[in-house]
Amino acid sequence: MVRFNPDAAGERLLRRFAGGTSRRGILSRLGAALVAAPVFPLLPVSRAEAAKPDRSPEAKTAFARTAQTSDDTKCNYWRYCAIDGSLCTCCGGGVHTCPAGSEPSPISWVGSCINPDDGKAYMIAYRDCCGKPACGQCGCDNTDRETQLYLPQLNNNVIWCFGTSSMEYHCSTAMMIGAA
Amino acid sequence: MKREMHGARFGLAFRLLVAGLGGAASFGLGVGSVLAQAVIAEAEEPGVNTLEPPKAGWFFVRGPWGSGGSSIFDAASGRMLGMVSTSRDSDLAIDPAGRFYYVAETMWTKGNRGTRQDLVSVYDSRTLKLLAEIPTPGRLIIGGFNTNFVLSDDGRTAYDYNFDPASSVNVIDLAKRRFVRAIELPGCASLIPNPGVGFSALCADGTIATVAIRGAGHDITRSAEFFDAAADPIFSNVVYDRRRKQAVMLSYTGKVWTATMGAAPQVSAPFSIQEAGGMRSADTSPLDIAWYPGGMQPMALHRPSNTLWVLMHKGEYWSHKEGAEEIWGVDLAAKKVVRRLPVKGHPRNIEITQDDAAMIMVNGMDNNATIIDSRTGEVKHTIENAGGGLITVFEPMAGAAQ
Repeated sequence: MVRFNPDAAGERLLRRFAGGTSRRGILSRLGAALVAAPVFPLLPVSRAEAAKPDRSPEAKTAFARTAQTSDDTKCNYWRYCAIDGSLCTCCGGGVHTCPAGSEPSPISWVGSCINPDDGKAYMIAYRDCCGKPACGQCGCDNTDRETQLYLPQLNNNVIWCFGTSSMEYHCSTAMMIGAA
Repeated sequence: MKREMHGARFGLAFRLLVAGLGGAASFGLGVGSVLAQAVIAEAEEPGVNTLEPPKAGWFFVRGPWGSGGSSIFDAASGRMLGMVSTSRDSDLAIDPAGRFYYVAETMWTKGNRGTRQDLVSVYDSRTLKLLAEIPTPGRLIIGGFNTNFVLSDDGRTAYDYNFDPASSVNVIDLAKRRFVRAIELPGCASLIPNPGVGFSALCADGTIATVAIRGAGHDITRSAEFFDAAADPIFSNVVYDRRRKQAVMLSYTGKVWTATMGAAPQVSAPFSIQEAGGMRSADTSPLDIAWYPGGMQPMALHRPSNTLWVLMHKGEYWSHKEGAEEIWGVDLAAKKVVRRLPVKGHPRNIEITQDDAAMIMVNGMDNNATIIDSRTGEVKHTIENAGGGLITVFEPMAGAAQ
């Protein structure tokens, strides 16, 4: 089993971020956050996973034991282990696609979710879609390894519409980043 | 014009009279007594009420997510007294002297778009009229937390947490009603007042950071690491006791710490809330069913008796947002659970009045609130549509008469 590599996962996350965003003032602020906080953003995920390499039912959270892989409009779809908000799949979008007229946030909070089909953990970026009123459909609040505001990249209450033209929250997607 | 208005009022009085007669007929009452009650002899003028300054027996209850107001309820009567304008995802703080309500908020010039404006709105506590707006450089738009916008004990300074997405704290002079400066505070949030020093905050490395403000400068120091922010986080909604200058912190597994504020905050050894209730302590293992704290605002401190009231549910670890089945009262000095109150509706927020009546309010996703006598467990009032969000109470200044 390949061990989770936080550096590689971080590089992928940042390369995607860099490739998908324009040069804005927010980048310097984000850069400051990345440089200044040594635990930002992946070490806690790594630590949590390192402590739980065992994927037996006894080692899985209640969410992981009951997750499914067939219906991404349900709160128990496996990627949604730490999502909070309306599922974009219920709002005219997809699991990694924003509904028409909304704008994906360039950054996100993250979760580490187990796919029940292969028993492996994957890193999921919960990217908010922004700039429209709250969708209101399929509200979910899953909390596997979800933390508090001092560890914001693992907190699902923060509205991540930073760097978008409007900070209004519409819905949340669950993008695959890679194996955790 | 004046005559027409009088005519309209007499018309209204006539309609009330007819309505009164209709009601009397249906209840079989005598016409004479109805006439005495229903006739409005004088034309009325519209008026506007004022409020008393905030009291320790009031609850300020935020509506459901997205709502723009916090309703004020009197715990004794269960009646709504008024509403403070608290726009969506704003933060409310009450002047310790009871003169003002402060609302840290964010709005855009065209509703959901246009130019962003961050500010602290100042309201008179008697008239609830807007007195001033203090522009700020930004804030975390989230709501639901009592530690993103805190006041110094003397009420002269506000600390407003910002995240954009680097962490900083805006210092606001409330006496001069102006923004002073922003202090970068990477990796920390959940602000705690630190009287005579500045403020403190919980950090991702498991420490408390203390920001000592000295004139135009400041020093940031860190405590020793005392909690694991990823494995067993402390709820951001820390509660703070002005008289004891003490913060009370609660983790997902149910560990309770106190921290006495100062230049170097003194953090106590933790105790387990389950052990305080005569059970084995809970841990982070899946499939280990135990009583855990949970909710958005999972605890409330009754400062006069130093009793912590915690929303508790049975479940597995990582269920820290689940609503409560019981409320546990914990004597912080004795480190003992002194009361367990069953509660309905799976509430996610709790507060308690800061008077001898010690009335608890809980609310949750159904938007209804329940007022419970913490001494007996008796439900005193059930208030539909009271609001499902964060509850705030007024903590009078130390030594102030209430």
